[in-house]
Amino acid sequence: MDEALRLSLEVLAVDVPLMILLGVPLGWLLARKAFPGRKVLELFVLIPVVLPPSVLGLYLLLALGQLPGVRAWRLLFSFPALILGALIPALPLVVQGARAGFSSVSRDLEDAARTLGDSEWRVFFRITLPLARRSLGAGLALGTARALGEFGVSLMIAGNIPGVTQTLPLYIYSRAEALDFAAAHGAALLLAAVGVATLIFVRHLEEGRHDPVG
Amino acid sequence: MTPWGEVALTHRRGSFQLRASFSFDREIGVLFGPSGAGKSSLLRLLAGLERPEEGRFCLGDRVLVDCARRIFTPPHRRRVGMVFQHLALFPHRTVEENVAYGVRDQDPLQARETARQWLRRVHLEGFEGRYPSQLSGGQSQRVALARSLAASPELLLLDEPFSALDGPLRRSLRRELRRLHEETKIPVIYVTHAIEDACALGHRVFFLQDGACTGSVKVEHLWNGSAQGEVFEALRWGNLLSGEFVLRDHKRFFSWDGGMLEVALPAEGCPGPGRVFIAPHDVKVLYEGVVVDEDLRANVVCGIVGENLTLGSLCRLSVETSSGVWQVEYPSGAYDTMDLKEGCAVRLAIRPGSVVPLGDGRKERER
Repeated sequence: MDEALRLSLEVLAVDVPLMILLGVPLGWLLARKAFPGRKVLELFVLIPVVLPPSVLGLYLLLALGQLPGVRAWRLLFSFPALILGALIPALPLVVQGARAGFSSVSRDLEDAARTLGDSEWRVFFRITLPLARRSLGAGLALGTARALGEFGVSLMIAGNIPGVTQTLPLYIYSRAEALDFAAAHGAALLLAAVGVATLIFVRHLEEGRHDPVG
Repeated sequence: MTPWGEVALTHRRGSFQLRASFSFDREIGVLFGPSGAGKSSLLRLLAGLERPEEGRFCLGDRVLVDCARRIFTPPHRRRVGMVFQHLALFPHRTVEENVAYGVRDQDPLQARETARQWLRRVHLEGFEGRYPSQLSGGQSQRVALARSLAASPELLLLDEPFSALDGPLRRSLRRELRRLHEETKIPVIYVTHAIEDACALGHRVFFLQDGACTGSVKVEHLWNGSAQGEVFEALRWGNLLSGEFVLRDHKRFFSWDGGMLEVALPAEGCPGPGRVFIAPHDVKVLYEGVVVDEDLRANVVCGIVGENLTLGSLCRLSVETSSGVWQVEYPSGAYDTMDLKEGCAVRLAIRPGSVVPLGDGRKERER
């Protein structure tokens, strides 16, 4: 279990920054900008939410297999595949959170900051981001929980190789299959606790939204 | 002497075109016009929040916009302050942090001290640590005003920020704004659709009608015989009546050839000859046979609908009465059940508080 836990945490260590780097700008783009193809992008971002993980994993497996270099560098059934498998279903949650957060910030506030001497970047970091932070944080927390619990897509493109691609959820599956319920219980309890803690954290963020502090 | 600011801008948004050409000095200019005339768009152009199609805008010795030379100064480099209609105070920052937000070229400690000084100037000492949600309407206005002035702008724009406030508070804020202007000499452009704001605040009034700036006039000349006709000709908006103020049973009335109107606001030179102004949106149409509150029963004028014009979200009614044509405005759909077609008989009601006395050719100004 130690190995699976270490691997799960490693995946999060890479995926959380990636979710911020990709999800926040995407959410901002969808909340603030009108551009051709916006509707398509909106739907595309949501696809991982509605597709069964096994279907998503199968398509990814087939698509990645076509890419030059993927086979040569053994990117499938490896740590990079695990990263991707956890990232894809989690990203929509981060994008939705960021988008809701940015949409809730009044344009007047941004305009006011502009007339007070703020460049576009300063407006973003002093006004938009602080005011959107609760929604952003909630989206990121849900995304992180989703990435931690990833099972289906990972199984399809990264396999279930102990010590290499066997994360906690896959470890539970393997242990249960081997009728080693004690080990499965230990890992399951840990994941359940993290999940409930995430929910409480998200509720706390959402309830605090009406504070005078915003 | 060349004027402090010169504006000649054209802007298009959909089918709406805005053409503004005027100049101003270091004074309080009031931009006056009915709803939908493009007042807010013009302010956004001046602040740099929107790009004009063509034109020039110079402020002091700086050229902020010159489309022919591809000059467009972004809002953060313009030093043009703006107080928004809904104030736009930053909810996540304290009053002091809001005011210190735009203070330039100072370290954070100095900026805080500057902010505190500004808060003292608008009589808000002791409120430094509060958040905007903990302020009353009038206090929020003062914070918004202090915040934009603390950034030492070279032009201050105000987009009807006092429109949500009631009479006494509004008057005291107008006085405050005049005092701050006299102290700082920062030129101000104040947008309003209330004629009394224009009279009480401004040195010069600019008229904006259907997207075009139709001229300007000094406030002193606004109501004297020669300019008045011209101004309302230019504006083609509002109801201006000439007659006489009379006192009866300790109440003020205005008598003109169409009858008598009760007047709630103090009138200079009463009793005596004078004029009153009634904005079209302050004229209400009465439902037949429906009981209305006392306030509306005081002043009733009967007439026939001459024209019913729908302008997007606004309806404009011309009502012919024995004493001339009245202009009435109301939000589309407000009187749908009455079916106000041309030729219908209507009864119009005006609250005594909406009859604005203008004196007789003299400057009406509060102190």
